[in-house]
Amino acid sequence: MITVESLTKTYASFTAVDDVSFVCQPGRVTGFLGPNGAGKTTTMRIMVGLTNPTHGRVTIGGHLYRDIPNPGRHVGVLLDASAQHAGRTGREILGIGASTMGLPTSRVDEMLALVSLSDEEAKRRLRNYSLGMKQRLGIAHALLGDPSVLILDEPANGLDPAGIRWMRGLLKGYADRGGTVLLSSHLLNEVELIADEMILIGRGAIVARGDKESLRAGEQHKVTNVTSLDNTLLAKALDAQGYAVTAAGGGLRVEAAPVDVGRVAADNTIVLSDLRSADGGLEDLFLALTSDTQRDDTPAGAQP
Amino acid sequence: MSTTVTPVTPGTIDLSGTTQVSMLQLSRVELRKALDTRAGRWFAIAIVGLVLLVEVIYAVTAPDNAKDYGDFLGIAGFVLGYFMPILIIMLVTSEASQRNGLVTFTLEPRRARALVAKLAAGLLLAAGVMVLAAAVAVVGTLLGSLTGGSPVWSVDANLLFNGFVLANVVGVFIGFAIGTLLMNTPAAIVAYFAYSLILPIAVGILSALSSAFEKVAPWIEFNTAQVPLFTGDYTPSGEEWAQIATAGVIWMVIPLVLGTMRLLRIEFK
Repeated sequence: MITVESLTKTYASFTAVDDVSFVCQPGRVTGFLGPNGAGKTTTMRIMVGLTNPTHGRVTIGGHLYRDIPNPGRHVGVLLDASAQHAGRTGREILGIGASTMGLPTSRVDEMLALVSLSDEEAKRRLRNYSLGMKQRLGIAHALLGDPSVLILDEPANGLDPAGIRWMRGLLKGYADRGGTVLLSSHLLNEVELIADEMILIGRGAIVARGDKESLRAGEQHKVTNVTSLDNTLLAKALDAQGYAVTAAGGGLRVEAAPVDVGRVAADNTIVLSDLRSADGGLEDLFLALTSDTQRDDTPAGAQP
Repeated sequence: MSTTVTPVTPGTIDLSGTTQVSMLQLSRVELRKALDTRAGRWFAIAIVGLVLLVEVIYAVTAPDNAKDYGDFLGIAGFVLGYFMPILIIMLVTSEASQRNGLVTFTLEPRRARALVAKLAAGLLLAAGVMVLAAAVAVVGTLLGSLTGGSPVWSVDANLLFNGFVLANVVGVFIGFAIGTLLMNTPAAIVAYFAYSLILPIAVGILSALSSAFEKVAPWIEFNTAQVPLFTGDYTPSGEEWAQIATAGVIWMVIPLVLGTMRLLRIEFK
């Protein structure tokens, strides 16, 4: 279990993390989601003692990280898969990790097999690794000491879709055996696939938290894309009901909930071939929640 | 990944079964890290190779009455002393320049322990290279006897300790100090050459211009102060020891303290 208690980190005039508190439960995969520069990495660095907090603290399994003897045996950490000597082979990197933790070399082979790095790949130097291979090696390194807590910063970055599916299976299995997993990402769909629980952070502060369902419950579907066999008639009918209608591709875009659009179609016996909410689900929620923390405004011309 | 996690109280980790990684183990890992990259391994090999080359040249060119084992050992010590700090600089700065410090200090968050382990590894490495260089000096001496010398094999204890061991151990600490202060491989190597090449020349020029400065120089310039260690009878006088001590505080102790403080605090990115 990871417990973050009113954590704050300020650099000169810049507040990287602003009074953040949350708990990662054992047996769950917790996703830490936010745009670039939101404070995810800083929070994780504080967790493992690489950065000192200005205020607040983090305990892992009830202990401060720096009080854990041989911490690699309890907490698996991957902060940056590229932060290894580029001239070492993958196998040597794991060998050094295993040796530091006092583990037998056989552990290296087990981990290489677990993350599907072949013997030939393990003999290559890190500078010749693709980002996906580095991530696999980094996950292997985090798992070396058979820890009960995993802290992974952007672990899916650079993995292909098959790799993301593999990691989801790995982390789900790990959590099912009672492990605690915290992973960060700036991509919602990655986290959505893997995490049971989500914490959304923007400009250093938590903007929302909960599981997928409870986050979705707050959504309001107000825009609908609809296609029917007689779009002209449907548009007239919707217009008569006072809904704003615009043509969109082969169909219509209506400022109304899908259920209202369906009712109008039924009343006028128009056959619908497609009816769905135009709000992008969690993605829109994510953007809405972090919109005031985004660096970029969507230019006027690019708006739908 | 075979373990099922069964916490005593939900959410807490039981630490009773885990002990700290021993200093011996940490030092062993640091020694391995010094030699398991191409840069580290070949630099160590190149130093020993260079010693061999210089010994061969000396064996061929030196006058026959200066081909004792002590002569060859002195030369080996001098060449080593020059390059040893760079080996240590690479060992220290790669943590930041290659960014693996992120992992090193995550696996051992008590940074002082990691630092001591690194210093121990540096001294072990230096000891290993010194033994090799002493062996190369044997080869040089044998070669010297083939080219006309009739070598004396006994070695002045002062040469062995002051000129060979002490001078090289000082080199290890100098490398460590520069490395921790700058935490950047190229910058630290440049700084080392400035310290070991440019500084003595500048001091030499100033000493030639001003006799007052000449008197002060060995007190404030560490290279100059160390000269009595590997010249003459290899035995610095009381005043010369005092010069080594004062210049050593300026160029070795203070940078070492500042560098250590810096390494204990900096944020590895």
